[in-house]
This record gives sequence, C-alpha cells and structure tokens, in this order.
Amino acid sequence: MTLPRTAWRTPLLILIAGCVILTLSMGVRHTAGLFLQPMTMDHGWSRETFSFAIAIQNLVWGLASPFAGAIADRHGAGRTVLGAAVLYVLGLVLMAQASTPLAFDLSAGVLIGLGLSGTTFAVIMGVIGRHTTPERRSLALGIASAGGSFGQFAVLPIGQALINAYGWQSALLLLACGVGLIAPLAYAMADGHKPAASGGQSVGQALREAGTQKSFHYLFWGFFVCGFQTAFIMLHLPSFLVDGGLSANVGMTAVALIGLFNIFGSFLFGWAGGRGSKKDLLVVIYAARAVAILIFMMLPLTTVTAWGFAAVMGILWLGTVPLTNGLVAQIFGLRYMSMLTGIVFLGHQLGSFLGAWLGGRIFDQTGSYGLAWTISIVLSLLAALCSWPINEKPLLRPAGA
Amino acid sequence: MKPQWRWFLAGAGAALLLLLLAAIFMAYQMPELLLDWSNLSYCG
Repeated sequence: MTLPRTAWRTPLLILIAGCVILTLSMGVRHTAGLFLQPMTMDHGWSRETFSFAIAIQNLVWGLASPFAGAIADRHGAGRTVLGAAVLYVLGLVLMAQASTPLAFDLSAGVLIGLGLSGTTFAVIMGVIGRHTTPERRSLALGIASAGGSFGQFAVLPIGQALINAYGWQSALLLLACGVGLIAPLAYAMADGHKPAASGGQSVGQALREAGTQKSFHYLFWGFFVCGFQTAFIMLHLPSFLVDGGLSANVGMTAVALIGLFNIFGSFLFGWAGGRGSKKDLLVVIYAARAVAILIFMMLPLTTVTAWGFAAVMGILWLGTVPLTNGLVAQIFGLRYMSMLTGIVFLGHQLGSFLGAWLGGRIFDQTGSYGLAWTISIVLSLLAALCSWPINEKPLLRPAGA
Repeated sequence: MKPQWRWFLAGAGAALLLLLLAAIFMAYQMPELLLDWSNLSYCG
C-alpha cells in the first residue's frame, strides 16, 4: 500500500510551519515604525505622510482578510499564503525604492496590507484548525497565536539592529528576504481543504447564516474592543508614562513586558480554551482588562505599577485570538473558518484604527489620556457583557442545507 | 525515544527558549531602539 502524497503534512508540521509564518509576517510588520525617522529624513516627508501609509496598511489588512480567508477556503490556503507572501515581499522591496508618497502608500500601505491578510491569523488559523482534533484545537491555535506574539516581540530588535548595521534600505530588503521564507512554508499549508464538513453550504449561505447569528456579532464586537485597547495601549502607554514623570526607558521596558507576557498569555488561554468554556474565558479576559486599567488608574504612577500593569495586560493581550477563532470553528464549523475569522478580524482592525486615532485625538483635545482610559474600561465591560450570551454549541444544519 | 530523553530534551528546549526570550528582552534596552521609540508610537 502506498501512502497518500500529503501524508508528510502531519498536524505537528502544519502547526510548526504556521507558527513560523506568523512569526515572520507579524514580526516584520511590527518593525514598520522603526523606518519612520530614517525614511522621512531621507525623503523630506512629514511624519503624517509615513503614518498615513501605515494606517492604510492596517485598514487594507482588515478589509482584505475576509477575502483572503474566502480564497483560502475555496482555492486552498497554500496558494493564498504563497500569493500573499509574494505581495508582501514586493511591498517591502518597493517600499525601499519608493520616492514619492503615492508610491509609498501603494507599497507599504496596499501591497503589505494585502500580504498580511493572507499570511496572518485568518488563513493560518483556518489550516491549523482543520488539522487538529476538537480537543486539541484551542491549544494548537494558542500555540500559533503565541508564534505571532513571539514574532512581534523578537523581530523588533532585529529590525533595529539591521537598520543600524546596513541602513534602512538594505534592512528592508533583508526583511523582505525573511518574509520570502514564507513561500516554501506555504507548501505545508496546502492542506486540500475539506469541503465534506460544509454540509454542501455555499459562501453566500455561510455569510447569511453567520449574519443571522447573534453570537457572530458578539464575537465581532468583542474583537473590535480587543483591537481598540491593544492599539491604544501600545501606541499611547509610553507617552502616558513619560507624561506622568517616568523615563522613556520605563516606557520601552513596559512595551517589552507586554510582548514577553503576551507569548505566555496566548499559549495559556489557548490551552485553557481546550479545557473549559471559551466564551467564559473571553468574559474573564475583557473583565480583567477593565479591572486592570481601573486599578492602574487608581494607583499612583510608579515604575512598579507601570511594569505590573504591562505584565498583566501582556497576559491578557492576544489570549482573545485562539478563543475567538476557536469559537468561530466550534459554532460554524471548519469549512469557511478562514473567511469568517477574517470578518471577525476586520472588527479587530477597525477597533485598532479607532483606538490609535482616538487616543491621540482625545489627548490633543483635552491634554490628557483620562477620557481615553475611561472609554477603554467601558468598552471592556461591554465586551465582557457581549461575550457572556455567546452560544458555544455548534449550529445544527438541516441535511443538504 | 526513551521517556527520560524526551523529558531531558523538552527541558533543554524550554531552558533555551527562556534564555532566548531573556536575551530579546535585554535587547529592548538598546539605546538605539530607545531613540526610535517615537517612531513606533506613530505607527504601532
């Protein structure tokens, strides 16, 4: 008897390949800010020109994720990851050559945004979800999420070291080479998706079905809050700490602590999601975030409270990812998991955009971040309340539907 | 693989991972990275 040609694609190999892809794609994306100063100085651009392209990137990433997921569900994740990796590499190479704001918007904004949509959570989690048993799925998604978290944490100093050693243009090309490693790994993601689990459902039917389910809307808005808080805190916490009289070094260490504890938190909540109720854990995460922010606001601002807050928020940071994606798979099945998680991820990105922008806007208008922290607490409580009524049971579909 | 070897390799792997994480954490204290913090706060 001969083994099928795909026998080498074991769940463990797919998980490892998925982790590496997420490490590379999330990590390289996280270095974008390091290029602001050298690029704007060399080209004579304003900071707004640069940050506008990155804002486009975040929006394109979110908007394209449902489509990348749908393409992966229909034509296979391997092709989607490969195509997205090519766009990502092209975006980085053209970003290094861009000499006008428009060229920069198209490369750093559009192309890299499209590349991210096909090489991050929506597509990768779908493949991993399809290749793990329901008992181990949440843990596997947690490990993959920890991979993405590790990338965000690890690639940032590497990016800075590359810029220091070779200059920003060469650093971008070297990072493009790193992203290029995703291309061969895409072969492991070519899972030959399994339509048997769809019950003969079409894309339109799957979308209509999800749209009628309150649980899907709750997941979307919960993830919106997650995006709002993470973007707001990552962007504005260091400034908040410096405004409060602490040194910039304390702010940088706080960011490092968030990144470090995020790795453990992603893994921890993925593991816990396989043993208990995922929606209850989401309630815990969102409620704990509200409590953590409230306590942080009430305590005097010191190095210890700042680092303690960063560590707690790091634990709660991306623990939502394996739980939210796991719930989508659990409720709606695996056939259109990538597309549906892509839609939920769009909510995350819209929240990120709002959190980043509104934090700055509120500071400019009021001279403090107080209102933004209050909004963050209220949204966190609303997300906890939204997550509570989620129905975790798999949808029952009539035969042939 | 014998169970004791499996445990040894898993422990060694975990120790190496912790060392790696500690090294990366220390890298965040690089002055160059610190100087570029203002860039990050613009772009997330």
